[in-house]
Amino acid sequence: MGRTVVELFYDVISPYSWLGFEVLCRYRHIWNIDLSFRPAFLGGIMQATGNKPPGMLPKRAEYLLKDIKRMAKYYQVPVQILGDDFQRVLGTGSLGAMRFITAIDMTQPQYVEPLSREFWLRFWSQHEDISQPANILAAARQAGLSSELAQKTLEMISSPAVKNRLKGTTDEAIKYGAFGMPAVVAHFNGEPHLFFGCDRLELLGSIIGEKWLGPVPSPKM
Amino acid sequence: MGRTVVELFYDVISPYSWLGFEVLCRYRHIWNIDLSFRPAFLGGIMQATGNKPPGMLPKRAEYLLKDIKRMAKYYQVPVQILGDDFQRVLGTGSLGAMRFITAIDMTQPQYVEPLSREFWLRFWSQAARQAGLSSELAQKTLEMISSPAVKNRLKGTTDEAIKYGAFGMPAVVAHFNGEPHLFFGCDRLELLGSIIGEKWLGPVPSPKM
Repeated sequence: MGRTVVELFYDVISPYSWLGFEVLCRYRHIWNIDLSFRPAFLGGIMQATGNKPPGMLPKRAEYLLKDIKRMAKYYQVPVQILGDDFQRVLGTGSLGAMRFITAIDMTQPQYVEPLSREFWLRFWSQHEDISQPANILAAARQAGLSSELAQKTLEMISSPAVKNRLKGTTDEAIKYGAFGMPAVVAHFNGEPHLFFGCDRLELLGSIIGEKWLGPVPSPKM
Repeated sequence: MGRTVVELFYDVISPYSWLGFEVLCRYRHIWNIDLSFRPAFLGGIMQATGNKPPGMLPKRAEYLLKDIKRMAKYYQVPVQILGDDFQRVLGTGSLGAMRFITAIDMTQPQYVEPLSREFWLRFWSQAARQAGLSSELAQKTLEMISSPAVKNRLKGTTDEAIKYGAFGMPAVVAHFNGEPHLFFGCDRLELLGSIIGEKWLGPVPSPKM
């Protein structure tokens, strides 16, 4: 029987996307799924749907600070939160990073996973900037790209091809009904099923006939 | 070792609160917890925090309609929503129902669980059953719901939820290691379990033998 295609629409500005990303990477070898990384732009989704970052409601922001710490610990993802983090998110653009990941997706897609992880580590674990070109290059090198490839890719990010590709992926997420991230689309029984949030993966499993083994499942032997 | 007190702040207008309620009722006999029902008023929490019902964003409303159906099926809770029911139900106020449950909580607390379930069934399911109240008790309770005592009790419980940091429902507070831990949403019960040292067995765990 064919594998269920599972598309993960994510932006590295979103810490909950990181959680969803790591869990799906683990389940890739346990569930009968084909995991497809779809780097997209959260800012574009917000604009199209009229949604706002959840941290803009003060009481929710207070809660989210605690929630992401506990969830990250349970999910074993090294998010390190400092007090001003939700403000930092609002002030930082992820457009450059997501265009860079998009460009790599178009030319050397084997680097998409380690590159995305490196951006998340920099922003959400090490409190480093990911918007300045020098920092994007440093992340790329850390992810295993040669300096030549990193530089060539950086030069691509303002090209219409890359801009349009990122916009196209973002529009796809919006067409599936996404209003935030992570947005996971499982293609099952001939139709797409949208799941929003890193806390809907157990439910996704139940829909596609798989068992949830927690966020850190033991690898299949 | 003492049981962990777990307080569930809920309003019957909230279908996700029903999901959380049923799951916690099941885990009551499996986890080492003391489940405490705290009927509260979601409208009051929204007003105090500036939050808005999530369905007010159109794309989120579309998603929520699908999400609650799938979640309810997986959680084995008989939520049944037809087309525009979502908006209609939300337009119905729950203040009377929550005051009624509060009055029962003050006088005959053993009915709080079946009564809450009955209200959820009426709000969010096609089925309706009897909660077991005699018509005399129901009538007496109905007379109480506009009394200052009941109004103040509901307000007090709602204020407690707000003090714990709640901005929506269900709001679950687990008292562990000498401090309160707030969890928002019926999808944080696995995490709650991990914090208090218990294992998640899915939303429909087999009862302990």
